[in-house]
Amino acid sequence: MTKVILRQTMAAVLTALLAATTGLALPNKPGGGGGGGSRGQAKSSVNNAGNRNSNSNRNTNVNENRNVNVNQNKNVNRNSNVNVNRNVDVDVDVHHRGGYYGGGCCYNSNPIATAAAVTATAMVTAAVIGSVVNTVPAGCTTTVINGMAYQQCGSTWYQPQYAGTSVTYMVVGHP
Amino acid sequence: MNRERYKVGLAAALLIALVSTASAQQSASTSASDIDPGAVAALDKMGAYLRTVKTFRVTAMTTRDTVLDNGLLVKRDGKADILAQFPSHLRIETVNGEKQRLYLYDGKNFTLYGKVIQYYATMPAPPTIGQLAAVLADKYDIELPLEDLFWWGTERVNSSAIVAAADAGPADVQGTTCEHYAFRQEGIDWQIWIQLGDNPLPRRLVISTTTDEARPQYSAVYTWDLAPSFNEAAFTFEPPAEAKRIGFATVADSAGAN
Repeated sequence: MTKVILRQTMAAVLTALLAATTGLALPNKPGGGGGGGSRGQAKSSVNNAGNRNSNSNRNTNVNENRNVNVNQNKNVNRNSNVNVNRNVDVDVDVHHRGGYYGGGCCYNSNPIATAAAVTATAMVTAAVIGSVVNTVPAGCTTTVINGMAYQQCGSTWYQPQYAGTSVTYMVVGHP
Repeated sequence: MNRERYKVGLAAALLIALVSTASAQQSASTSASDIDPGAVAALDKMGAYLRTVKTFRVTAMTTRDTVLDNGLLVKRDGKADILAQFPSHLRIETVNGEKQRLYLYDGKNFTLYGKVIQYYATMPAPPTIGQLAAVLADKYDIELPLEDLFWWGTERVNSSAIVAAADAGPADVQGTTCEHYAFRQEGIDWQIWIQLGDNPLPRRLVISTTTDEARPQYSAVYTWDLAPSFNEAAFTFEPPAEAKRIGFATVADSAGAN
């Protein structure tokens, strides 16, 4: 009888310990802490009614019918508002972030661009033409074709663009 | 007979009750006492004055809150430097964190250039700063920095949007004596400090967004130069050798670069 109780207590203690350690371990993960994204920004104008729906999903997806991808994905208008769970280090002003995951910052100052954009890491597996990312993976090459800049990352091509005042990258077919 | 009289009396009582409820409701939402007409007039006067200033340079220190998903506020500082020559020349430099932008407009083209990222985009532009500001806001989701400076005194201002207005008295902004006003509109509570005297310039602006319970704030403190020196080249973009051209994404046609 006492043995059973003891065993149960031990189990409970172990579970508690386990929970405690996992809880403690989390913040040590690279780029951990913070998490999530931002839900909006202070309005900066009193006269511009549009300034404003601070989390509008800009639909930057094009229905382009030059699907180079093997997966015959119909390019439906998907709202690529994927909440990838990492610290979005947006308001980025570089072509790509270096090797480590997450970077320092944990919010972005352009929710519009971010809401519509999936992170580059998520896109590597499925670079659907017309989808938009905030940064391109490391190791891409800048190429200028017909006077316009592109980023070539393996077989995937990105076309940088100003979405608002932030640069985003749209996956395009080989230009 | 008595019954008839009773009915009439009841109807009258009901009518009185209805009317008084209606007027009570009206006074709760749009009571004239919530709007100090002097505050609204001061705003109009400032707008009218701003539109008479044909050339100016204004630098502003700004702060802007971002609301994280969990409601935490993160405040970021920024700087904007605007050189405007009405009706058709504009040069704006901004620094927000690591993000630097140059906006150039010469009456024919508008260019947005990122000094760090080395991308620029150029498009044909309408003939006036006012029209440019409207196109950028409506079609490209580009807020011109301190854009209210271009809206005040134009038809874009909607005074009837103001549901509360108060005069908070005189206040000093960086050594300049101003009158301090507070306003409420749908979605924002905002305050402005307007220089006293012959040049009613906005000196400080604070906007609190009330649609989010975290009430994120934007603020700007302006420093004015009404006789700036510059030359025409200041408004024209010469792409640096290492800069590469990209396009603008539009809000409306949901597609990417042009």
